[in-house]
Amino acid sequence: MTTTLSPSPSPSPGPGAIATRPPTSRPGLLPAWLPPTAGAVALAAAAAAAAAVALPWLVNGYVIALAATGLVMAVLAMSAQLLVGLAGLPPLGQAAYLAVGAYTAATIATLTNLGPIQLLAATAGGAVAAAVTGLLAVRTRGTTFLMVTFGLGELLHAAANAWAPGGSEGVHVTPVVALPGLPAMVRPGWVYLYVLAGALLIGVGVAVLVRTRFALLLRGIAAHEPRMRADGHHTGRLLLAAYVIAGGIAGAAGALLIAVTRYVSPADAAMGVSALALAAALIGSGSMTGACTGAILLVVARDWVGGLLGGHGPTLLGLAFLLLAYLPRHRLAGLTIRFPRRRT
Amino acid sequence: MTSALLRLEAVSRSYGARRAVDEVSLDLYPGGRHAVIGPNGAGKSTLLHLIAGTLHPTSGRIHYAGHDIGRWPAHRRARAGIARTWQHPALARPLTAVQNVLLAVPGQRLTALRAAAPVVAAAYEALAQVGLTAHADRPAGQLAYGDQRRLEIAVALAAQPRLLLLDEPSAGLATGEITRLTELIRTLPGDISVLLVDHNLDFVAAVADTVTVLHHGQHIATGTPTDIREHPDVRRVYLGTDAPTSPAPGSPTTTTAAAAGTPILRVRNLSAGYTGAPVLTDITLDVPAGRVTAVVGRNGAGKTTLIHTIAGLHPAEPGADIRLHEQALTGCDTRRRARAGLALVPQGRRLFAGLTVDEHLALPRPHPTRTRAVDVRQVFDLFPALAERRHHRPHQLSGGEQQMLALARALIAAPDALLLDEPSEGLAPAVVGQLAAIITGLAAAGTAILLAEQNLALACQVAHDIAVLDRARIIRQVALADIREYPSDLHDLLTVPTTTPTPS
Repeated sequence: MTTTLSPSPSPSPGPGAIATRPPTSRPGLLPAWLPPTAGAVALAAAAAAAAAVALPWLVNGYVIALAATGLVMAVLAMSAQLLVGLAGLPPLGQAAYLAVGAYTAATIATLTNLGPIQLLAATAGGAVAAAVTGLLAVRTRGTTFLMVTFGLGELLHAAANAWAPGGSEGVHVTPVVALPGLPAMVRPGWVYLYVLAGALLIGVGVAVLVRTRFALLLRGIAAHEPRMRADGHHTGRLLLAAYVIAGGIAGAAGALLIAVTRYVSPADAAMGVSALALAAALIGSGSMTGACTGAILLVVARDWVGGLLGGHGPTLLGLAFLLLAYLPRHRLAGLTIRFPRRRT
Repeated sequence: MTSALLRLEAVSRSYGARRAVDEVSLDLYPGGRHAVIGPNGAGKSTLLHLIAGTLHPTSGRIHYAGHDIGRWPAHRRARAGIARTWQHPALARPLTAVQNVLLAVPGQRLTALRAAAPVVAAAYEALAQVGLTAHADRPAGQLAYGDQRRLEIAVALAAQPRLLLLDEPSAGLATGEITRLTELIRTLPGDISVLLVDHNLDFVAAVADTVTVLHHGQHIATGTPTDIREHPDVRRVYLGTDAPTSPAPGSPTTTTAAAAGTPILRVRNLSAGYTGAPVLTDITLDVPAGRVTAVVGRNGAGKTTLIHTIAGLHPAEPGADIRLHEQALTGCDTRRRARAGLALVPQGRRLFAGLTVDEHLALPRPHPTRTRAVDVRQVFDLFPALAERRHHRPHQLSGGEQQMLALARALIAAPDALLLDEPSEGLAPAVVGQLAAIITGLAAAGTAILLAEQNLALACQVAHDIAVLDRARIIRQVALADIREYPSDLHDLLTVPTTTPTPS
């Protein structure tokens, strides 16, 4: 077999098509956030990954725990970005699916402390919860979607207070085992590496997802939904699918969260967590890496710099948002894209 | 007997009290090229929305290829082979041209990481069909307006339709582009049927084998383009031939006070355009106090752009000079122009959906520096119908009352110059008569009025001067009395693209 040496046959069209295609053009399917200078970006990504892996040997336990929290929020921000950045629907209740995932993982933890199984169960839990509630949410658009997801998030928060194991006190979870045969992870460095691996795995899945036709259709819906219907797409079903996938990712973030905190409570479903995820996605203005960076920066600003400033984390967060909103490149692209400019 | 591909049986669609489409029936046979024409507000676009599934009929049946599709959602109709374009290009503007086309090519898997070769080939073929191959990788939102329209047709063709619905495909296109569009529609394969809505009668005659005329949602006539041109009812409702030859009693020539002195509103060297396409070139216009100047011209001639540019809603190109009372307005924004005494009654009325009549009239306030003042009571005296509906919201008003409210809202600011954009759009003839009386009365009271109007009957009834706008220029500006001497000439200008050379 010489296939590994010969160029990939996939982009060459049939014989009749060659004449109609300009020779230089790519099919044009790569997402906008993959710039032509992909080589330099890959180099930077490799350096960032190396630094991320080496982190436990470089800094103290507090910073490690902070970094793990940042990674969890980055996963949640990717979940929000899938909705706001691709489909143009701003969600304000993603923390609810994170909490569903966390409680699912905590329940599974009473049977097995194997991390990957908890992760899968949490993903499924988040997706199921999103499938049920998404039926309501994806009927709405724009600000109404924001309100409905906020309302759903608050309901799930209240439900967790009332009926979840442990009530408003929450439940403690045993340390997670990364793979069968390994010891339980109690040191923050190992937990951090486990969370990093999980986040990278989810990141790779999301990176593939945003390059599929499904993602292109979502971007089409965000830009002009009636046109997509006229092209024969059941936009409601596509948006529900996106909502379910986003719920699954948020659920997975929940499993990673309890690996870090070894504790889950209704406070994890709080509106502030959802708002942080949405804000991170908006800061990323359509890009997944932007959303992850935004989430990590926001966690750092809230927990670390805020601590240095003597509890003024929220002040800093508010000022940061104002600054970002007025910077020309961050016009909260996701929010404005969706409000329809109706003309006859 | 061949069965129709599309059959409408007494299809109606109401918006509140107004019937936008009123028991319209029509048949479209496979391979047919069917055009629907009619004045603004005739229900043409609504008809297309009903067929495409964007709207559902209030009553009546829509049969397509043997199915009753009246309750089908839009995407199901699209999958059954109904493709469409919108009146304003409906595109995913951030996506590239070829991505827009790829969205519509059927038979792709959702999980595909890149489009299969035959799919990409089909997309590029659709782009080549409309001549956009060179722009394949540009974002749709960055294309020129005419290119966006062609891209939308490529998107519709890429869906491999059996029925193609085109909403005003020639609007906003230059003459050369219309020729190419005509060629494109003519060369479509015979298994694609076309139903199109348009204002350009030459274009319609060139592409359509059957023409249906709608007026106020009602079916007037169906026939070949030649039959339609000869049809007396059609000439009356669409071409508006009867009014100027028999001017209404009490026409402005008798009521005008000789107040027409220096012009209040002066426009010099005005040019404007959209993303590179010039819409207005070197416009010169004077509107004196106490006189109505009507700007007439076909759809897309630039009437609304002219009004918007004067009002400050659309930027004029450098060098333009707009003066009100010798005060230069060119550098001012819309709010300052309104303060200076310029009021706009926009096309489509643009009322505030959540506000009552009273609240509408409480909003505008004349600026304290202005000498003239109007209070609400005076406005209600002028519009007695509104006085009875002070607590109603716009959707509870009839079309005529809505137009009166839009006019009243403009008048409460006590303007010196009033800009009216298509005030008669979608109004019944009786209401248009009322409107004409009000406009005449306002002019007699000393307001300078600039009226953009497609309804030639109304324009001739109220105007003192008529400016004919054609292909971005004012090609003729005459007093109404002179117009009366050659009315047929004016109609030719407005309804048929002239073959006489235009100044270039």
